[in-house]
Amino acid sequence: MGGIYWLASYPKSGNTWFRVFLSNLQADGDEPTDINALGLDGGIASARGWLDEVLGFDTAELSQDETERLRPEVYRWSLRDEAISYHKIHDAYTLTSDREPLVGREVTLGALYILRNPLDVALSAANHWHCSIDQAIDKMSNPEMALCRKRRALPSQVRQRLLSWSEHVLSWVDAPGLNLETIRYEDMLDDPQTTFSRAARHLQLPADAKRVAKAIRFSDFRELARQEAASGFRERPQRTERFFRSGASGDWRENLTEAQVKRIIADHGSVMRRFGYLYANGEPR
Amino acid sequence: MNYTAYGLSIHSDLLLPELQSQTQREDEPDVQMRIGAVAEDGFEEAKQLGPFLWASRHALWLQVPNVAHFLVREGREIIIEPAPGIDEDSVRVFLLGSALGALLFQRGYLVLHGNAVRIGNQCMVCVGPSGAGKSTLAAGFMQRGYDVLADDVVPLDAECRAIPGFPRLKLWRDTIDLLEIDASPLKRIRPQTEKFNFPLVRRFAKRPLPIRWVYILGTHTQSDTRFEPIAGMQRFEPLHNNTYRVRFLRGMALKGEHLKLCGRLGGRARVARMTRPQHGFELETLIDRLLVDVADNP
Repeated sequence: MGGIYWLASYPKSGNTWFRVFLSNLQADGDEPTDINALGLDGGIASARGWLDEVLGFDTAELSQDETERLRPEVYRWSLRDEAISYHKIHDAYTLTSDREPLVGREVTLGALYILRNPLDVALSAANHWHCSIDQAIDKMSNPEMALCRKRRALPSQVRQRLLSWSEHVLSWVDAPGLNLETIRYEDMLDDPQTTFSRAARHLQLPADAKRVAKAIRFSDFRELARQEAASGFRERPQRTERFFRSGASGDWRENLTEAQVKRIIADHGSVMRRFGYLYANGEPR
Repeated sequence: MNYTAYGLSIHSDLLLPELQSQTQREDEPDVQMRIGAVAEDGFEEAKQLGPFLWASRHALWLQVPNVAHFLVREGREIIIEPAPGIDEDSVRVFLLGSALGALLFQRGYLVLHGNAVRIGNQCMVCVGPSGAGKSTLAAGFMQRGYDVLADDVVPLDAECRAIPGFPRLKLWRDTIDLLEIDASPLKRIRPQTEKFNFPLVRRFAKRPLPIRWVYILGTHTQSDTRFEPIAGMQRFEPLHNNTYRVRFLRGMALKGEHLKLCGRLGGRARVARMTRPQHGFELETLIDRLLVDVADNP
């Protein structure tokens, strides 16, 4: 019987990096898997093609709220698959207007939540969304923030409610009854073997040390940047130069102003403290 | 009321202003669309294909929650049970989309997800996923004086001829702005969407035409438009993938016949892939590019 593990994160928090690791872990091959062959379009929870195909009618003819109400039913259909599947999701963990979790109750085996310091998220998101850092900080504090909310044309993904950055984190990590594991981007960098092994075990995937180590090596930032330089990356936004931009943590120190740091801490301090991004005195770590 | 669409005479309980009406009633129309009771939960001897979809060899049951239940039978009949309080526009958009699409499958057509445009005595079909720009392209061709055969649902007969549907395009607000069309006389497709019915008054091709060109539209995040002809056997898969609702075929046991038609079309038509940037729809450039290919491959 099938079921879904959700790979959940706020945008620009390491989700793609994790999926490259996952594809290498599953392939267990002699060379790195192709970053342009991750099975991405059908893979994200908000892919319109997936919804339309299962529903048998066009979500293009539905309002965004009507579409949202049907999403749990589409995911539930995956119970009929033979194998477990892994899907990326950027939506916050919310309930539909029918009080049903958006991701579906029965079909959801669990979730891996990938978390990153919002000071670095702001910087990376500004690049990804093609906006200023201050605008990215605004978006991250906006409880109404959603992706693909345009109503005048048809995006290839349906609307995704993100909520504010803090609300996004809390919606997943405190979701009642959800089988959840949380990993931090910073730990994926600093202690990859422990962090990726923990994630693999949670996702019912092979987690023996050698196989995990190889998958980590094959999804190293330099490898991803090399592949992108050689053949591009189809998830890169058109107006952004590179998707795999820095792959580091702490870039905010050189790139955010003091006022920007203060604003982010004012907006998200309590969640930052809970996940170890602030010292006891409230200064960023 | 009596109408024609896809070469069929249709008698319908529901008013269908998008279709061409027929003044005289045929004693035995090809298709009956009736308002009636449809079972709540699929039907016997059928296979469930999705949470809201059942099909057997002869029938297809579809629910659009809070809009309507549809039962499509033998390629001759569609029974519609509207949800309480729903507006007719909302019912019609799914009736003329998925339900009529299923009926065309039942009548043995290969049904592509795309648009068909007349070029001389032949026609061009553009296929691709929702949002690829199919309707925008068709509207652009129409503005240049070309006739449109069908929008969204293109049935092909056994000779690989496209069958004309009905004279309308569904256009998003952004497309209307791009084409500088006056939106004030246009009706919304559904009250809550920014999508409009655009009647093809004099730009509708009424006769079936052989398909000479099939273009597979897509988008990517590069800033260039790519144009790649597809050769021989490789044509088969993209044609099959751009069938209107591949899932319908499974339950209706039409797969074999369908594959045969895909193969036949691939053997006859010029097939190429055109991939445009996600942002910035250079409509005139895309039309010019297609017309060059059309002229090079008459």
